[in-house]
Parts: sequence; C-alpha cells; structure tokens
Amino acid sequence: MPCDDLPDDMKILWKEAGANRPMFSTDQLRKEIGKMQARRRRGNLVLSVCMSLFVACFTMSFFFFPFSNTLTRIGSALSVLVCGGWLVLILREGARVGSDPGDTPGVRFYRAELERARDSHRGLLWRFLLLPPPFILLDLGLARALAKFSPFVAPLMWFDGALVLTAFLIYAPVKHLRLSRKYQSRIDGLDANLRSSGELDKTKENLP
Amino acid sequence: MASKTGADDLYQQTSAEFGAALERLAYAYEVDAERRQDLLQEIHLQLWRSFEKFNGRCSLRTWIYRVAHNVATSHVIRQNKRKRNAPPFLTLEEAEVEAQAGRDNVEISADRNLARAHLLTLIQRLDFVDRQVILAYLEDLDAASIAEITGLSTANVWTRIHRIKSVLTRQFHAGGQNAL
Repeated sequence: MPCDDLPDDMKILWKEAGANRPMFSTDQLRKEIGKMQARRRRGNLVLSVCMSLFVACFTMSFFFFPFSNTLTRIGSALSVLVCGGWLVLILREGARVGSDPGDTPGVRFYRAELERARDSHRGLLWRFLLLPPPFILLDLGLARALAKFSPFVAPLMWFDGALVLTAFLIYAPVKHLRLSRKYQSRIDGLDANLRSSGELDKTKENLP
Repeated sequence: MASKTGADDLYQQTSAEFGAALERLAYAYEVDAERRQDLLQEIHLQLWRSFEKFNGRCSLRTWIYRVAHNVATSHVIRQNKRKRNAPPFLTLEEAEVEAQAGRDNVEISADRNLARAHLLTLIQRLDFVDRQVILAYLEDLDAASIAEITGLSTANVWTRIHRIKSVLTRQFHAGGQNAL
C-alpha cells in the first residue's frame, strides 16, 4: 500500500524526522568560533609567509644574483609585483564580509552567493593569467645566463618554463573559466526561473 | 538588538524550540552524515551570532528560518565547489517530466521511514528556491512568512507550493507503482 500517506500527510511524515533535537551550548559555540578564527589566522599567516618568501626570493635575484641580465631583472621585478599583488588581493578577499544571512531574503542571498563564487573564479582566472609571463622571463634570463656554465641548465629552465606555462597559463585558467561559467549558468537559470514568475526585478533590487 | 546575554538566552530558547526543525532542514540540504553535522553546527553558530543583530523587523521564527536557509545555501555552494560530479538540481519542469516518465525507481513501501527517505530525496533534488519554499511549508509556515524568508511575493509562494506539492505527489505515485 504505497504512498497512501500523501499528500495530506506530507507534513506529518516530514515532521517525524529530526527528533534528535541536537543541542549546542553557547560555550561550545564560543569555542567553535575561536577555532574558526584561529584557523583563518593560521591560513592567512601561511599564505602571507609563502608569498613574502616568493617576493623576497625574486627581490634577491634582482639585486644579488651574480649572473643577472636584463631578462632576469625584468622577470624578477615583475614577479615581485605580481606576487605582491596576489598577496594583497588574497588578504583583502579574506577580510571581505558576505551578505548578512539574517537580513537578506533567501533568493537574493542565493543569487549573491552564486555571484560571489563566479567572481572569485573570474578573479583567479585573471590572476593565473598574469602569473606566468614574469616567471618565464626569469627562466629565460637564467637559461641564458647559466648556459655557458653547464649544458644541462638551459633545457632544465626550458622545462621549468613549459611547466609553468602549462600549469598557470592553460590548466588553471581553463579550470576557473569552466567553473565561472558553471556559476553564471546557474545565475541565468535562477533569473529565468524568477523572470517567468515576474520576480526578477524585485530580487535584483538592493543586491548586497 | 539583543545584548550578548540576551542573545545567549534567546539562542537557548530557540534551540530547544526549533532544534528538530533545524535538523530536518540540514537533512534537506546535506546528504553526507558527517558534513550534515558540520552544517547543523554552523547553522546553530550563525543563528546564535545573528541574535545580536536581530532587530524585530520580522518575527523571530522568520529570522531563524532565514538564517538557517541562507547558511545551508552557502554550505551547499561551498561543497559543490569541491564535488566535481554533484548531481544537478531539478527545476520543477524537469521534476514533472521525470515523474511523468515514471523514471523514478526508488521503491516505496508502506514503511514510513522509507516514504520519508523518499520525500527527502525528492526535496534534496529540488533547486534552492523551490526547496526553501517547500521546506518552510512543511514546517507549517504561512505563505506570508515564506515570502518574507525567500523574498518572493506571497502569490508566487502559493503558486510554487501548489506546483511543488503536485510534483512531489506525482513522483511518489510513480515510485509507488514501480514498487508494486
């Protein structure tokens, strides 16, 4: 005798679930917030240290590398700029506050979250595209400078350049382009859904 | 706005009153048991924090469901970033087509647990807007409150409730016939 509970009994059927009533004490929640903040601080610290190390390495290669030529100097100067820019953007994004879940109606919140996810992937796409040129210039400069000392260095630098090119100029941007398109298509789907019920303009008003 | 101790008291009170409803909501948004527990904790956490900003412009119940749905929405979007092959959400039109084609092969028995699990599966596959509407409806909220939670108009909420109910019922019958 299947389905004879529905539809009138749907609410009763639904409410039979979730009888556990899990409780969290406020102390427990405070601890959890402390843990979350510590995790975020740790993540920012690791990221900042890594990027600062990159910046320091490239700065040193600009000033102190004994075989510097024009290409390595341009490459290292641009790398410092790009890595510094990445660091600032990452820290600024981490500090950005999202929509307030209590004050924002569900559909508008959903749209804002989708837009945030899409924009984050678009941002990464551009950042990955900007990363390889300075690295490759640096590699080329090093390959030239070190070629006279050993025949193995130049191919190694070329291989390194190709790796950077593939990872940062092809794989990562394509991946983020695909993901940003996925979120855009979800936004379009949501808009189409709302447009069909005449709700689109209302939902787009005052988007956070 | 509530003070810190006021927020604590309010949280304790609402946690006792709406704990089960919030758990059901977490079920509807997260399939994996471990991640569901994380989601539930996050909902409680954000709810507790949000009470400091609660200004009484809407009812407490509306506020609670709005925070819970929004936190769950963020959670699912975040999880989807990690899961490559997450199943797509169904629009109502797609769900209707699926029901008519009788492709939903989940077996339904008289066992209410299975029936409930099936209902949950159907709800989990709805897109966010329809899911928010039907979940609030199942928790006995009226159309005006659901409109406040979702940001849709009351008339639209009614239309959606009617359509979602009819699709869910048809999907149940399709599953039931397959089981017989």
